[in-house]
Amino acid sequence: MIDTPRPRGLFKTGHAFVAPAVLLMILILMVPVVVAAILSFSNYSLGSPDFDWVGVKNYSKLFARSTYKKMLTASFVYIGVVVPLSVFLGLGAALLINSLGRFGNIYKTIYFLPVMATLLVMAIVWEFILHPDVGVVNRLLALGCGTFAETILSFGWLPWVDPATTFYGHGCAQDFPHWLGSKHTALGTIIFIGVWQGFGFNMVLYLAGLTSVPRELVHASVIDGADSAWDRFWLVTWQMLGPTTVFVVVITTIRSFQVFDTVEALTDGGPVKTTYVMMYAIYEKGILQNLIGIGSAITIVFLLFVLAVTLVQRWFVERRVHYT
Amino acid sequence: MKTLFKLAAAGVVAALIAGPAAADGHKVEIEFAYPYSGLFKETYAKIMKEFNKQHPNITVKFRASYENYEDGTNTILREAIADKLPDVTMQGLNRQAILVEKGIAQSLEPFIATEADFAKDGYHKAMLDLSTFDKQVYGLPFSVSTPIGYYNMDILKAAGISKIPTTWDEVITACEKIKKTGKDGMFWGWNITGNWFMQALMWSQDAPMIKNAKFNLDGEAGLNALNQMKKLFRGCGMKNYSIADGQTAFKSGKVGMMFWSTSSVGSVERDKTKDWTLQTAPFPGMLGMNAPKALPAGGNAAMFVSTSKDEKRRQAAWTFLKFITSGLGAAAVAETTGYVPPIKAANEMIGDFYAANPNKLTAVKQLPLLSTWFAYPGENGLAITKVIYDAQERIVVGDIDDMEELQEELVEEVNALMPKG
Repeated sequence: MIDTPRPRGLFKTGHAFVAPAVLLMILILMVPVVVAAILSFSNYSLGSPDFDWVGVKNYSKLFARSTYKKMLTASFVYIGVVVPLSVFLGLGAALLINSLGRFGNIYKTIYFLPVMATLLVMAIVWEFILHPDVGVVNRLLALGCGTFAETILSFGWLPWVDPATTFYGHGCAQDFPHWLGSKHTALGTIIFIGVWQGFGFNMVLYLAGLTSVPRELVHASVIDGADSAWDRFWLVTWQMLGPTTVFVVVITTIRSFQVFDTVEALTDGGPVKTTYVMMYAIYEKGILQNLIGIGSAITIVFLLFVLAVTLVQRWFVERRVHYT
Repeated sequence: MKTLFKLAAAGVVAALIAGPAAADGHKVEIEFAYPYSGLFKETYAKIMKEFNKQHPNITVKFRASYENYEDGTNTILREAIADKLPDVTMQGLNRQAILVEKGIAQSLEPFIATEADFAKDGYHKAMLDLSTFDKQVYGLPFSVSTPIGYYNMDILKAAGISKIPTTWDEVITACEKIKKTGKDGMFWGWNITGNWFMQALMWSQDAPMIKNAKFNLDGEAGLNALNQMKKLFRGCGMKNYSIADGQTAFKSGKVGMMFWSTSSVGSVERDKTKDWTLQTAPFPGMLGMNAPKALPAGGNAAMFVSTSKDEKRRQAAWTFLKFITSGLGAAAVAETTGYVPPIKAANEMIGDFYAANPNKLTAVKQLPLLSTWFAYPGENGLAITKVIYDAQERIVVGDIDDMEELQEELVEEVNALMPKG
């Protein structure tokens, strides 16, 4: 870039134009973060007239108490499953739709519907669907009991399987799972809803990314001997989608960190804290119990995680996936 | 609107606002908020119809209702900081103390003193005691509840149970019989706000949850309560229902018994499927006793939290507060919910109402057992409630089998959160 000397007046005007944005950013982003950081070293409780400085006690609690260990476990399991699943499902759906000529738009709409729907409203619908007694899922599963469906689904036809011990056989004999009320299935159910809700968004991002893959490159690869579809995908499409993938992964990770509405509406962090994700912990401590000190400490840790993800993304963008 | 009133009170724009206010006949607006719209919506609709007729110059503005008592108290605490308090608020009986301690709720004695025929003794004493601090009344009880048993008589009959259980052991036996018919045994309200059912099991043995400002679960009574829960949940194979799911299951006739606050009698009767008969009965007794020795009082009380300096507005707020907690308001409580109205006279006002609604009489019969519903002291009060909730949940989902170990952990964790000294 050629450095042309600029007149001083223009420089000042530039600052004046930027000032409102900078000021707003400081006011509504930086100041609250700094305040939260300061409060995280106190035991301030909303409404109480005085408080004490407790040093790093809030933070040491975060890494010592079993409650917060469960919180970190729930958060990272959620992210660890939702991110890869919704990225690959998004990519798969995008590739399939891209290969369709006619009905692409119908599928696009179907997969994108959950993204557009209000998650909180959807959560209430899921609550009804997953009700242990009157919910559609368990009623449907129970319908198959005693029929040929049970024989097939309980895998009793495999000589080495005892039908009573399989999921379906056990469900028929006893009860089908209480999806949101059992400590074994609650997090899995929340993850399922998270993927269901999120992958449509990734699909749209990938569809946009696919339009930027030049056809000439694909043709060229065929001439160079990339005969199978997999070769063409792996050598051309996937490589060209690099920047999209980094963006999609980062966005999905941050969104997964922020999961809250399904947990609040469906499980309240339970049973026995198996779905106690970070956002919900912040809400419970800071808003429901007025314990601003510990709530702020969780918030700061949360921000550090998100910051780390963002830094990793920058590093990736600058080093690896630079094509233009 | 509220800020306008404040400015007026400060005399800054008194002239500005006095003009239009005088024009429409000295209308005064007051603001009000209450919890559990699902239970009380019809009650307030009924009350307001009559109130608007009798006091056309007072407009009551309803704020968004609180989800539960914890939410109600929290909202008020936040509003106190932001200086956005309503004039009158309905608070859980166990959450009044904190609002009095923080100086947010105001004593009602000055208002009571101006009333010629205000009979404090018209209220059930135990109810009024819950709202009295330093010999001053801070809240007037609006609705009072006790835990009771709800029974689906058709399921009980199909299971061959002719006598409604009076002890928890009989409840477990009933569960086993019901399970054989393919239905679920029971839904037990361990997840009710403020650890109410845990306190109910403590009171059943005449043991308070808080004794001399100390957490009283560390003794034998505490262990009994935990063991009773474990026996019940395991014996009945109770599912870990959320409150909404459990109520839906009972209302739709999938569950034979429900142990819950009497407050839901109204809504269960309204919402239940038509093909079964509901009957309520007193809360079963523990340790082989046929009845509890005492029970925690649930429900809510009206508190005066207005920050207005406008005397007219304060008077209007008192008029409203008095109206809903006595006479007609109290009668509407009995008619539309399962709660017991706070004044003895209200029961006479509604005449043979209870003869026609025997399901609502169960709680009235349990009134002599009424005892304190404890709130945990200090800044961590709400956190302690949650710790105890979590411990109960561990029993429900089968996360722990050793109740002595659970008791030890629980007592240690709660004591760490209780105020020192």
